Amino acid sequence: MFRRVLIANRGEIALRVQRTCREMGIETVAVYSDPDRNALHVRHADHAVHIGPGPALESYLAIDKIIAAARATGADAIHPGYGFLSENPRFADACAEAGITFIGPPADAMRALGGKISGRRLMQQAGVPVVPGADNISVDDFTTAKREAERIGFPLLVKASAGGGGRGIRLVQRAEDLENAMRASGSEASTSFGDATIFLEKYVSPARHIEVQMIADAHGNVRAFGERECSIQRRNQKLVEEAPSVAVTPEIRKRLCDAAVAAAKSCGYRNAGTVEFLMDRDGNFYFLEVNARLQVEHPVTELVYGGVDLVALQLRVAAGEPLPDLDAPVEPAGWAIECRINGEDPYANFAPSVGLVDYLQVPGGPGVRFDSMLFPGLDVPVFYDSLLGKLIVWAESREQAIERMKRALKDLIVSGVDTNVPFHLALFDEPDFRSGDFSTSWLEANFRMPEPPADDPRLETALIAGALAASLVAGASEAGPAANGPSRWVQASRAQARRGIRVEGGVRGWRRGIASR
Amino acid sequence: MATRHRFSVAGVPHTVSVDDAGDRLVLRIDDRGPIEVDATTEGVPGLFSIVRDGRPSRAYVAREGKALRVIVDGRTFVLAPANAGRERGAAGGLADPPGKITAPLAGVVVDVRVKPGDRVEPRQVVVVVEAMKMQNEVQAPHGGTVTSVRVQQGGRAEKGELLVEYTPDPEA
Repeated sequence: MFRRVLIANRGEIALRVQRTCREMGIETVAVYSDPDRNALHVRHADHAVHIGPGPALESYLAIDKIIAAARATGADAIHPGYGFLSENPRFADACAEAGITFIGPPADAMRALGGKISGRRLMQQAGVPVVPGADNISVDDFTTAKREAERIGFPLLVKASAGGGGRGIRLVQRAEDLENAMRASGSEASTSFGDATIFLEKYVSPARHIEVQMIADAHGNVRAFGERECSIQRRNQKLVEEAPSVAVTPEIRKRLCDAAVAAAKSCGYRNAGTVEFLMDRDGNFYFLEVNARLQVEHPVTELVYGGVDLVALQLRVAAGEPLPDLDAPVEPAGWAIECRINGEDPYANFAPSVGLVDYLQVPGGPGVRFDSMLFPGLDVPVFYDSLLGKLIVWAESREQAIERMKRALKDLIVSGVDTNVPFHLALFDEPDFRSGDFSTSWLEANFRMPEPPADDPRLETALIAGALAASLVAGASEAGPAANGPSRWVQASRAQARRGIRVEGGVRGWRRGIASR
Repeated sequence: MATRHRFSVAGVPHTVSVDDAGDRLVLRIDDRGPIEVDATTEGVPGLFSIVRDGRPSRAYVAREGKALRVIVDGRTFVLAPANAGRERGAAGGLADPPGKITAPLAGVVVDVRVKPGDRVEPRQVVVVVEAMKMQNEVQAPHGGTVTSVRVQQGGRAEKGELLVEYTPDPEA
């Protein structure tokens, strides 16, 4: 096993990986940018290396700086987390050249899965269902494309092989629009990615986003951990994930897991990965792509498969150990839901929100897990994505998990940054969500953030607390106690109000020892 | 001793009187009947526990500019000073009064599209502020002539910070 692991990431996932390392007796190395100096992942690490200014290109995406940090601290492995360099084959190569184990798939597997057309062909050969389509077309050869389009049927998508982030994709409803869509897609792909290669794909809609967690070891073993349901999305960002999915029967689950195992074996995959599928209303599913890393939403899988620690498995297989429990049941136990707690204002079109966290109350109790970068005193930086933490619950049934999540959301207090907690609370009261009747387009097409009710009983509590705070602050600035002496609640609170002072200002503390900057 | 507090919550005015009668604490909301409570912030300043008729409730209060931000069971209320109107979402960019354009949110200035002397048209994008990997275009609320630009590309802007000053066109 490794002696010292560098975690090339920040935020909640850096903490998540650190926790497992500590439990396994492995030392951790944190890397941090200037605005992350105060972050928890720096505070909790065994070693910490400053790697540059805020912009990710100059810090968390700087391969040379991270390799140098690993060398300087004697790390024998690097865990990339998700995002940043996690799916960059050049980073995996750089680790190999430096003699450091990359805790993730081989660079070759990443490259094979990276191109959309090469990925499709690989999966077809492995017997994994792909969306019906045609990859034998070119921008100039409209005759072939038209013939293939008629075979596939409309509506269909024109996609760029090198695409990403939704670029180079055109939805075509009618045959007469095909030629223009091909030209537009090809030129956009050429501009964005320097590669005009396009292909056609049937438009599967409405569809659910269903994904399967798998992990492969160096001895040819692959284990699949059932599915996650990730259809609740806005602007292609997942917001709520569940395991299992209401739409997946044991028979479909078996086929999904078999497909995920075949996908992993087709490209010599190793370590943890997620095979993403689109699934239609009839339970037909089609390969979408492989996310060659640990996913944000991995905890829901951990909770319904007996608390398995996926990060521990990643470390073990990266160290060459065989996967344990290959005969474990493929059926999940109970139900898990994750809410992404984002720094954004649900009442202002989900605009990003940053700021100084002046108070935090974390929910607890049975079946509640909170993986988060938050602590009172954290100044949430503007440079990175809006994920502040993940609230995850487990219960015996989906209905109970929904009620448990609502309870936990109401117990969560994050003060200083706006969060999407009100969005989650509203979502969990939607009949379509409760019945499980949704697809990837449901949220954007059907959900409107409700205006808060005018007769909300919480308003009275807010007014009482606000008035008390206002009179407390006014009282604290008075010269002395009132003639008949301050009442017991003033006595109890006034000293706090004088010192404290969350009501009066912030908790921005001192900071010293900035030699590393 | 009694104090009286006037708040505006989402544009609706409320008056709360607090009568601290020694060992009793009595409040009246919008001049309705008295509410007797036992309240404490012991432990954490701003974290209130309020017991009323044997029923506890909880709230966290923090100051936000001139307003108070109160969080109760997953909902945040902004208690603005009376007559402040609707506090949320009413600042920065298009919501600014003529003459000044401020940042509607904190972020990194990734683009500055005007310089002193430039004409701006209503809704023209003057500055782009990026926060959490999302680009937000800050628009001019009115037409006019730019007199100064207070930020530069790559710099950081705080919420409400002055970005651009301009001489607004005379109202047609």
